[in-house]
Amino acid sequence: MQQNVVIAGFARSPFTLARKGALAKVRPDELAAQVVKGLVERTKVKPEDIEDIIMGCAFPEAEQGLNVARMVGFLAGLPTETAGTTVNRFCGSSMQAIHMAAGAIQMGAGQVFVCAGIESMTRVPMGGFNPAPHPGLYKRYPEAYVSMGITAENLAKKYSIDRKAQQEMAVESHRKAAAAQAAGKFDAEIVAIVDGNNRVEKDGCIRADSSQESLNGLEPAFDKNGTVTAGTSSPLTDGASAVLVCTEAYADKHGLPKLARIKSIAVAGCPPELMGIGPVPATKKALERAGLGLKDIDVIEINEAFAAQAQACLIEAKMPKEKINLDGGAIALGHPMGATGARITGKAASLLKREGGKYALATQCIGGGQGIATVLEAC
Amino acid sequence: MSAAPAMPNGIKKVAVVGSGVMGAAIAAHCANAGTPVVLLDIVPKGANDRSTLARGAVEKMLKTKPAPFMHPAFAKRVTPGNLEDDLGLVGDCDWICEAIIENPEIKRDLYKKLDGVRKKGSIVSSNTSTIPLGELVKGLPESFAGDFAITHFFNPPRYMRLLEVVGGAKTRPEAIASLKAYGDRALGKEVIGCKDTPGFIGNRIGIYWSHVALTEAYDQGLTVEEADAIVGKPMGIPKTGIFGLGDLTGIDLGPHVIGSMLRLLPKSDPLVQSFKPDHPLNALTQKMIAEGYTGRKGKGGFYRAKGKEAIDLKTGEYRKKMRPDLASAKVKGLKKLVEHADKGGKYAWAVASRTLCYAADLVPEIADDIRDVDIAMKTGYAWKWGPFEQIDMLGTGWFADKLKAEGRPVPKMVEIAKGRPFYKEEGGKAWRLTPKGEYAEIVVADDAWMLADKKRGKQPIASNRSASLWDVGDGVACLEIHTKMNALDADVIEIVKKAVKIDKQGYKALIIGNDADNFSVGANVGLALFAANTAMWPVIEQSISEGQAAYLSLKYAPFPVVAAPAGMALGGGCEICLHAAAIQAHAESYMGLVEVGVGLLPGWGGCKELIVRTLNNKKRPGGPMPAVAQVFEAISTAKVATSAAEARDMNIMTENDGVTMNRRRLLADAKAKALAMVADYKPPTPPEVSLPGETARAALSMAVEGFFLQGKATPHDKVVSAEVAYVLSGGNTDITQTVTEKQLMKLELEGFMRLIKQAPTLDRIEHMLTKGRPLRN
Repeated sequence: MQQNVVIAGFARSPFTLARKGALAKVRPDELAAQVVKGLVERTKVKPEDIEDIIMGCAFPEAEQGLNVARMVGFLAGLPTETAGTTVNRFCGSSMQAIHMAAGAIQMGAGQVFVCAGIESMTRVPMGGFNPAPHPGLYKRYPEAYVSMGITAENLAKKYSIDRKAQQEMAVESHRKAAAAQAAGKFDAEIVAIVDGNNRVEKDGCIRADSSQESLNGLEPAFDKNGTVTAGTSSPLTDGASAVLVCTEAYADKHGLPKLARIKSIAVAGCPPELMGIGPVPATKKALERAGLGLKDIDVIEINEAFAAQAQACLIEAKMPKEKINLDGGAIALGHPMGATGARITGKAASLLKREGGKYALATQCIGGGQGIATVLEAC
Repeated sequence: MSAAPAMPNGIKKVAVVGSGVMGAAIAAHCANAGTPVVLLDIVPKGANDRSTLARGAVEKMLKTKPAPFMHPAFAKRVTPGNLEDDLGLVGDCDWICEAIIENPEIKRDLYKKLDGVRKKGSIVSSNTSTIPLGELVKGLPESFAGDFAITHFFNPPRYMRLLEVVGGAKTRPEAIASLKAYGDRALGKEVIGCKDTPGFIGNRIGIYWSHVALTEAYDQGLTVEEADAIVGKPMGIPKTGIFGLGDLTGIDLGPHVIGSMLRLLPKSDPLVQSFKPDHPLNALTQKMIAEGYTGRKGKGGFYRAKGKEAIDLKTGEYRKKMRPDLASAKVKGLKKLVEHADKGGKYAWAVASRTLCYAADLVPEIADDIRDVDIAMKTGYAWKWGPFEQIDMLGTGWFADKLKAEGRPVPKMVEIAKGRPFYKEEGGKAWRLTPKGEYAEIVVADDAWMLADKKRGKQPIASNRSASLWDVGDGVACLEIHTKMNALDADVIEIVKKAVKIDKQGYKALIIGNDADNFSVGANVGLALFAANTAMWPVIEQSISEGQAAYLSLKYAPFPVVAAPAGMALGGGCEICLHAAAIQAHAESYMGLVEVGVGLLPGWGGCKELIVRTLNNKKRPGGPMPAVAQVFEAISTAKVATSAAEARDMNIMTENDGVTMNRRRLLADAKAKALAMVADYKPPTPPEVSLPGETARAALSMAVEGFFLQGKATPHDKVVSAEVAYVLSGGNTDITQTVTEKQLMKLELEGFMRLIKQAPTLDRIEHMLTKGRPLRN
């Protein structure tokens, strides 16, 4: 039954700052629907062939609740026969959506899937409207609920990543993203979002003028004695993303633009207080399953939740700096939690095509102490 | 929310032309009153956004402190525009207020344009402080002159209560009446009708006073600190003092205002007579302005480096600020001050005598009623006492004799007084002296009064040293707190206990209010500290229980109770309002539960009332946590609303509560509100709520831990906020259970008692009492 599964299309909204950005007033379901609609139009996939919309969301409530995937199907004008499910693995949610589609395809449970992600960090706060942690667990094992910023501080300490080194990564991320933006390298992936008379078509978090000097002025954001600042963390972001996942045979038959084959997938747990290291065990598993080593990988998309966190992974997994996040990472582009996984997987697939390598890796850390990874192969 | 009730003044929409500091802030204050406003300015050369000046002014005001808007949402009531494209917007405005550059020609040109688009009968006014009305309407049609007046606001318009209204010979009386009514009820101003004389009342006296206080300080060899120690609190002037005031308003403003007064005043005027262009102080201020030392907005002024340095008036060099050592600054009473033999006393006499003579000589030239002069100086310059009140404090006879002894002329009004006071109370009424030498009654309107007006010549229904109950007419009683800072103590609670029984004496409603600047700053924590230091725990526990019981009895009184806060209503002062059937608040009310500042939690039902009100607010986000989180944030950060409008956001006030713009109308409005509730009044049903218990505490604790790591919360903050969280989460409950009002109050009491027994709490109380600010321990 083993079939080749491919990524045959990638689209995303512009990523803009929560509250201050151009998408703050746009409902997340509406935002995701416009992206899904854009993906379907661009790939020219037959809507009636789409089995399911699998939508990742880290806080699936309020305007991104009510099984938002199903609502997005209606909003995007997909046939009623196309199903919809919402999946939550916090920041790994929409990469998980891709994994689920790949798994379903292998089970013969469908040929074509829209795997999308959504998060309006403006309209649904991090933690949701009604945070209700288990008091007993919180008492016994407070690490289960540790704040993300503190996990970055923990890694900075453990791997001796000082503030200057973190800022270097942030500046580099902004530099790469600004260059890619100026060169029009995001144009093909961005779906302009229409909000009444307003049309949003550019990413809003990138700071081309970011520098060590400008970042030096920031106070520590999570620990007054710490080294992690708002400038070395990914910003609160509004955004949506989507990839088309289908069998290679379907893509070939219908002439869909194949970006990459899904070679292997993995998730892994790690201590919650060191959640940022999650990509390391997840990558290890995924590479083993693909029968590959890191040396075989040409393109790496690693989510920059925090500079300290991404650097810790580079150090621990010995990832080469020059291969990562060629068009900038989440520190510059933003990190709308549920939408990031589909963005970096779609991005890794696109880069593989653009840069001409053989294998790509997309990986990210997940709150609560997990990692998720996907290995892609050029088609 | 619309703060302004419908009123028959005919002003429903306003245009302000000129978006400088004054124009923009006048527009903001009209918006505070609930009025839609059009704000217009010129189109700057080459501007992309042709309305950038007005739009920028509104945006800037949202960041200005003190805030011109009472609520950021009120900015939406201001429509920015420009004079080229949007002049038509004034077409449906009832009042057009001009606040552009002080140049008669430019103003007249604007008036001609406005006259072409304004609707018939609309009122046009100028905010000028220096140009006579007659000059402004020169060459304009009669119909325009009939609709034209001067409306002179004081900076900042939201906070300074004086509004001088000047009509010309041709101005329609109805236009003046409309402006006065709108200024009074909607804008909450003390509106004084002025004559068309230079500087009207406020600036006429204020500029002379400032000139005298500054030059006398120099001439008599006082330092700026010494001068400010005298022409400050001892003389009833805001504590910034006279040099500090210059820094605040801008030193560069001085030469402009004095220059325009010198141009307009006759040669015989004491300002013209005493102004010496070559006075060394003028050279010094010119040098300061040239070097950018224009006051707080510049590099510094008479003081700099956050007030740590002061200028030496003789050398012009800055030096370390000194603490003035003047015995005269410590005496009590104006008379003792001006009689004091030290240089401070001599300075005080020079400033007071010259200023008071000047003011007294200006009646009836600038005002027929001495009261107008006093009100203008109190509300336009924030003097504690007006000039005639000050002369009364000295004694008119004593003042006249001292002037004579010094060979100085005695002002006519002082001579007319013949040793009698300018004001007196007699036969339960208040009287003022007229320029004819007779006493005229100060008539108090039924819908605008202070408690003092109702107390005059009467005995209280009940009274002790801390509070009293007064009959304010129509079967309504008023509970007045009158301790220092209106702090609450056991005696206040005693009067509350009596207040809830007034129906037995035939009263049908109660209002809670007073005339003080601040409604109440909260419980007297000095008493709590004393009791705690002597381990009198049962006494403390009893005082909390009794306070809770007394406030509950107000809530469940068989008649309506309306609280009328103005200024600060903090801690226990806020809690008493929360237990009233309704609140009628002055727009400038600053309410909040600030107990954590002294390491405690609101123990008199504040936690309970605020969580119940927030849960009952149908507009809040759903689920069990948002209400708990919002109230927790407000209490654990001691958040104080910066206006009545903001108190609504915090659920301290509800949709049923009212706002009064004019302080003088507050108690009358509260009384009217109470009377309107009398028919079929039923006390509320005790609330029962569902709260999430321990789950909420885990979530709140996570948030506090984050703030602690960030350095935003201290170790004792964690302890105090954990107790606050315990109460607000309902203690050991579950979302499926209900918690009663009594249970919540028991949680408050227990939490309060645990906290007051802690040393860091007592350190906080002691710090507050000795230093006047919270300890961050």
